[in-house]
Amino acid sequence: MAHFDNSEQKKPMGSISFVLKNNLSELDVLCEHLSGFCRSCGVSKRQTFEINLALDELFTNIINHGFTDGDEHLVQVTCESEDNALRITIEDDGIPFNPTAAPHPNLKCAFKDREIGGLGIHLIRSYMDHIEYRRRGGKNVLVLTKAL
Amino acid sequence: MDITETKHEQYSVFKLNGRLDSNTAMGFEQKLFDCIENGTQRLILDFQDLDYISSAGLRVILKATKNLKGAEGKLVLCSMQDYVKEVFEISGFDSFLPIEATLDDAVKTV
Repeated sequence: MAHFDNSEQKKPMGSISFVLKNNLSELDVLCEHLSGFCRSCGVSKRQTFEINLALDELFTNIINHGFTDGDEHLVQVTCESEDNALRITIEDDGIPFNPTAAPHPNLKCAFKDREIGGLGIHLIRSYMDHIEYRRRGGKNVLVLTKAL
Repeated sequence: MDITETKHEQYSVFKLNGRLDSNTAMGFEQKLFDCIENGTQRLILDFQDLDYISSAGLRVILKATKNLKGAEGKLVLCSMQDYVKEVFEISGFDSFLPIEATLDDAVKTV
């Protein structure tokens, strides 16, 4: 099982760090942590929704496709409040996956050809202002920035 | 998420309350398709009390729409929060799904 630094109490104001198990039921935990943090930073309800959605899509993707061994894994989420922006870092030790290189879905095709694949990443791209991926120390590290 | 189904003579209304995400989408899909398989081809999804939707929810709606189109049925959505509506617009779902402002309008459309 992966080990993460979980020292949220020691971090300065304006940031929060927490870990989620690789289970979809953790989406509620994600929402709870994020909502509390966004409230404390004065982020609007609408922007909180948008950030929650982007992180949900990413986390669900990691859970559904990132792990092949059936073991418990932890996903670390760090949110930092900056000048007029929120920066969120998500780290997982799943198989290498770079969402920034994923193909764009065809949203203009005929209805009968519409597929759901790729829509999650399309939503992440739509709602976040900057997405940066790197593979570091056997982990996927994704940094999402949302202008406020 | 709570789902309340109200059956009318010509159609059924599903009122969703809470969060439609990959955690709750499967239960929603089950209820929706039970209804379709029982012969109801005209459905309204009332999103008045829906706080949240992710692509897992969109997937169920796309699947139901495809199923109903094949059966000459219809799916109509109504009463969305504006930020929920934006998810449908960004995803291009507003191009093939009727989205009405109120339940009354949806009843006329369905």
